[in-house]
Order: sequence, then structure tokens, then C-alpha cells
Amino acid sequence: MDRREFLKRSLAAGVGGAALLVPGSVKRVFADSGKLPGLAAVRGGEPREMFDRGIAALGGMERFVKKGQTVAIKPNMSWDVAPELAANTNPELVERIVARCLEAGASKVYAFDHTCDLWRNCYANSGIEAAVKRAGGIVSPAESASSYTKVSIPGARVLKETSIHRLLLDCDVFINVPVLKHHGGAGITMGMKNLMGTVWNRGEFHSKGLHQCIADVSLLRRPDLTVIDAYRMLTRNGPRGTSASDVTVLKAQILSTDIVAGDCAGARIFGLDPKNVGHIRMGAELGAGTMDLDSLGVARIVL
Amino acid sequence: MDRKRAGAARKLRSLFALAVLLLMTLFFLFFAGVREGGLPWWQAVPSVLRLWTGALILAVSAALAGRVYCSVLCPLGTLQELIWRAGKRSASYRKPSQLRYWVLGGVVVAAAAGYMFPAAFLDPYAAFGRGVTHLLRPLAIGGNNMIATFLEERGVYGLLYRAGRSPLLPGVLWGTALFFALLGFWSFFRGRPFCDALCPVGTFLGLFSASPVLGVRFDGERCVACGRCESVCPEGCISVVNRRVETDRCILCLRCLDACPAGGLKLGRLAPREGLGRRGALRFGLGALAALGAALRARLPDRTVSASASSREERLPISPPGSGSHGNFTKKCVACTACVTACPAGIIRPSLSAWGMQGIFQPELDYSKGYCQFECEACSSACPTGAIAPLTLDEKKRTSIGRARFFRRNCIVRKYGQACGACSEHCPTQAVRMVPFRRNLTIPEVDPTLCLGCGACEYACPAEPKAITVSGVSVHGKIRDRKNEGAEAPVVAPLEEFPF
Repeated sequence: MDRREFLKRSLAAGVGGAALLVPGSVKRVFADSGKLPGLAAVRGGEPREMFDRGIAALGGMERFVKKGQTVAIKPNMSWDVAPELAANTNPELVERIVARCLEAGASKVYAFDHTCDLWRNCYANSGIEAAVKRAGGIVSPAESASSYTKVSIPGARVLKETSIHRLLLDCDVFINVPVLKHHGGAGITMGMKNLMGTVWNRGEFHSKGLHQCIADVSLLRRPDLTVIDAYRMLTRNGPRGTSASDVTVLKAQILSTDIVAGDCAGARIFGLDPKNVGHIRMGAELGAGTMDLDSLGVARIVL
Repeated sequence: MDRKRAGAARKLRSLFALAVLLLMTLFFLFFAGVREGGLPWWQAVPSVLRLWTGALILAVSAALAGRVYCSVLCPLGTLQELIWRAGKRSASYRKPSQLRYWVLGGVVVAAAAGYMFPAAFLDPYAAFGRGVTHLLRPLAIGGNNMIATFLEERGVYGLLYRAGRSPLLPGVLWGTALFFALLGFWSFFRGRPFCDALCPVGTFLGLFSASPVLGVRFDGERCVACGRCESVCPEGCISVVNRRVETDRCILCLRCLDACPAGGLKLGRLAPREGLGRRGALRFGLGALAALGAALRARLPDRTVSASASSREERLPISPPGSGSHGNFTKKCVACTACVTACPAGIIRPSLSAWGMQGIFQPELDYSKGYCQFECEACSSACPTGAIAPLTLDEKKRTSIGRARFFRRNCIVRKYGQACGACSEHCPTQAVRMVPFRRNLTIPEVDPTLCLGCGACEYACPAEPKAITVSGVSVHGKIRDRKNEGAEAPVVAPLEEFPF
């Protein structure tokens, strides 16, 4: 390599590096011109790097979290099951999201879930409690009715009123971080179904009609960002899974500003037509989001 | 014995006894079920039920040092002494009660016939455990939860967690409260009369300690008959008039040694002229017989007949994983409530009538407020009697303690044509799985060879009345091993990079 070549390469590397260091500032220019995609799908990497690439494509964390804001993160950690079995959201992904929120200037980042198994065991054995704490976030309990507030849901068809976790109502930014997996009752679970872990009376969903209630509750507090973890995916025996043979490693992640669109992309990855998933169709009908991915703008990233 | 040494011995004994009391209180409040916490297998009745040599060891200990168990190891005894000290009553000699032999005989005969209720009711270890679990623990949990909620409402997380509920049955609660009210009242005025007149453990040990190798005795020459020893004895077993300490009732609190101004009592070896006597020998023999009987009973193989509910209406009680069978459980459980404290889900609940007349107070699993957690074997690490044997987590995950039954006509899917699947969702083995029903719907189906009887499905079922319930099985089984069944490739395998 001669000197000229070397200089050229260094310059290119320098510019590229600088752009990587300040992705937010660069992307905000795009945001102003209205060109940012609303959905990013990433494949082929580890959870952390897929998130970084995906969020950069959406305009950086600064697009969603402003200085001094409080953030509530809702991972799926409903089951007392180890991370490898894919019943809960990948802890590495949650850790990275908390860290990026704090870097973007969030004052506080909370994570919680109204679990199915005993909450202490779920929080600990999902690995998410430790991950959130490592990144500097706060893990909040959600096992007591005292943490929930009764609200009405305008526009809902069946679930017109329910009790919802107070953090969800109080936070400035809400980030929904489900895991994509098979679900014996709902067929498939992702972003909208994950919101069931923000309400107190889970049983009510089942007795009033699962799909309609899921669609109804997604009207209440729309997530500013939904990050669907599909690094590992339960292909059967969900939502809890029985063994490692139920799990396939997909190395995928979907980041979406629209919860319904995110679920549509997830359903496609799972191998389902979103039209055949009751709560997705009903959610779109109620106006919780759109099933038309192209109208949002999709960034496809392969690592 | 000089007073300095007597005082030091009494204090040492008090410290040891108080330490054990504290340890046992903490065990029943918090540590039961914590593997590293250790088990109180050294308590008298648990050792008899757990080891076939337990009763023999107790007998030998009594022949050597009298009721040393009552002195330092029994939490209920120390508790009574504390209550008595609060009253500061002066005591005097009481004649030995003959009732105690009848009580012991009754307890032994009942236990031999399979009725554990008298033993459970009178075992001082178990009674103490019930007191802590039912009376003290709810207060501790309530206080803890109030502080935790207070902190949480002010944005302080992770410092203190709300603890789960403490399962209560009104009948058991009031029974325990009444027992302790009577016991407290009695000991406030009279010291340790329970230990003297009712306690089967004390009476059993007394059979062997009519003249123990080491015991408290009068040193005739020095006694001035001032009567101070008699006035401090919580058992009322010292008679100054006769210059006699009834060592089969003496619980070795050593107060008399400390109180005597003349050094007229000593803690010492058997003098050559003191012998067992005819009555002593008879009691010794009876005691040995009882110990032998206990040893035989502990070695008896479990002969529980395998049974499950005979009709869909019938529901058998469910015993904790590790108990092996209903027979083993009801034969060895003294209802000490260690497993009740241990269970993080709060589903092990004391019962009154679940096990029939044999097992009043013995706990059963109750799925109305929770279910047996798949990744947990706490109860099997909490039981000191062997009613629940220790299981590894892997063993526990394959142990079937009951069977789920599906009542299709109650199911939401059939009744309202709505998707549900809450039962299958919670099932850790997919013994309850969703199979195609009308249109797009799926409905549960139970595979009994995979069912653990953990109750997750029953708890999760939103139908009213429940569409899926669990009934116990009298002999626990193993679920089918699915290690070789999961090898085929996952059902869904997306091929495209981005199928949208």
C-alpha cells in the first residue's frame, strides 16, 4: 500500500468512525426530512449488536428517549425458566436496551413484568433482573395489586376497564420488549400479547375472549418502541416450553415504532399469515397500528 | 457444689437453650426449605420418625444424663420457662402425675395404629413450629410487606421484597392460638407443667432417667432445708422434706444449684447405694419396649395401596412431592409446618379433615391460590421427620403427585367459543396440550402419563366452575421420560431471510 492509498483509507475510516460515534445526530437530519423507517428487521447477529444496528437504522435511541425522561421497559419474564429455553426475553438484549436508554440521557429506566410463575424466581432465573441491574436500570416488582391503577380503555370492545401497572402510566417512554414464541392459547405471542403482563387481572383476558382483550389493551398505552426478540424462538409447546428441543436459534430481531406492524413481521418470521392471528387483525381494526408494513418503511439488515 | 460454678453452669445452660429457641424460631420464620439452613432432625420426635435408631438414642441419652433434651434442645420448654420468668412466681413441690403415662401410652398406641394426631398435637417440637408459623409468621410477613410497599410507593425498589402470603385455615389458626393461650396461662403460674404432665417426649425420657448416671442430687450433709431450691423449680420436682430430686421429671435447668446458699445440691454421678429399684426397672423395661416398637415401625415398609379418585366428583388430597405415598406421609408427619414455611408459593396448607381422623393438622396441597413450582423442591429440603424425603430437582421434576382431569363442559373454549389455553400455557410438561377444535379454535387435552399434578392448570383456569382440576394419587409415580421424543426438528423453520 502506498502513502496515498494509506491516507485515503485512514480518512475513510475516520469519517466512518465519526459517523458511528454520533449516529443520532446524523440520523436526526433524516428524521426531520421524514425519511426514517418505522420498522427495522435485523438478522444474523448476537442480540446486542442486532439491537445496535436496528436502532441506528431507526434513527438512534435519541429518537425515542430524550434527556431526563423516565423509561419503562416491559420484557417478557413470565416464566421461571433459564434463558436458553427461550420462554423469556433474551437478557443480553434487555441489558443493551437499558444501557442505550441511559446513554441517551434517560433519568431512570425501570423494568417489570406481571409474571405467571412466582415473580422472584422468574426475575432471577430469566437472567433479566441481573441484566437490568448490570446496565444501571431499576427492577420493579409487579406482583401486588397495590402497584396497579384502574383505568378505562377508550375504544375498547370488550376490555373497557382494567387495572394497569402504574409505571406504564407514569413513564415518559414505554419500550415493549417481547420474545417471539409459540403460544398454545393465542397461537403466537409477541408485542401485543406481551402487554398482558402489564395488567393486574390476567385471568379476565381468558374469560372475556383472549384475542379481543389483547387487541383492546394495546390501545391503552402504545409503546414508543417495540423490540421483538427472536434470537431464540420456541417453535412449539409455548409459551413455557418443555425442553431445549422446542427451541430454534433464529438470530432475528424486529424493532418497530408500530406495535401491530411489529407483530405482523414477527408472525411472518414464525411462519404464520398475520391475518390469521386474531389479535393482530383486531388490533389493526381498532386502530392500534397498521398491518401495512410498507407504509411504515422497512429497513432490512443482515449481519 | 460451690455457688460460682453452679451459677456459671446455669447461665451456660440458659444461653444454650435460648440459642436453640432462637434458631428454631428463625427456622420456622424463614429458613425452612433453605438447603444450606440444615434440618432440625435432632429434635426428639423427628429423630424417632426419621431414624429407626432415634428412640434408642434418646433412651441412652436419658439413661446417661436424664432429660437433657428438655433442658437445652426443646424450644417449647424454653419458651415456657421464659413465660414463667415473666411471671416470677414462687414454686413448690408437686406430686408426680400419673396422667403422663396414660398420655404417652395413648400417643404410642395411636401412632402404632396409624393415627398421628395425638403425637402431632403433643410433640413439643411440632407444637412450637405451629405456634411460630401460624401466630408469629403472619405478623412478620405483614410487617415486612407494609415496609416494602411503603418503600415502593416512594420509588425505592429492591431493598425489601413483599413476601408471599402465609396459608391459613381458620380452624387450625384458632386451635393453635387456643393451645398457646392455655399453655402460656399454665406456665405463667406453674413453670413447665406441660413438660411434667403431658409431654410424651418428656415422659418417655423420664422412663429412663429414674437414676441417670449424671443428674441433680441432694448432698445430704450440707443441705440446711431452707427450701430455696424448691421455690425456683419450674417442674416442682424437688422435695426438700424428702431431700429428693425426682430425676425422671427434672429438666436440668440447674436453677436449684444456683439458688442453694449452702451448696447442698450437686450435679454429679450416681452414688453406689442409689439403684433403679423394682419400679424403676419396670419403667425402664416398658420404655425399652416402646423404643423397640418405634424402631420396628420406622423400618416397616410402606404398604400404601395405589389409588386415585374413583369418580369424577371425588377428589383425593395431594401430598407434597417427596412424600412418596399418602401412607408414608400421614404416618410420619407431625404437622410441624416446616414445609408450610418452606413453600414459596404458599400452597402447602395445614388441613383439618383432608387426611381423615388419622391426620388432623397434617398439611395438603391447595391449588386455589397458587401451584407447585416446576423449578422448586423446597418442601422436600424442609422436612425433618422423613414424611417428605429429600428429592433432587431432576427427580422432583419427574414425580407425579396427582392427576389433572379435564371437564370439557366447563371449558371456556367450548362454552363460549373463545380461544383460551391458560391451562396448557402454564403446564410445564405439556401434559395439557391444545388440540384442534371447531374452526380456528384449540381445546385442552390431558396426557396422564406426563401429568405431574402440580396444579398449574387448575390455578390458571379462568372458568367458573373450573374446567380442569387435580386430584391426588395415593402412591406417587414418575412421568413418562420424553428425552428421546424431542429429537425431531422444530415444526416451524423459516427459510427466507425476511419473509415480509
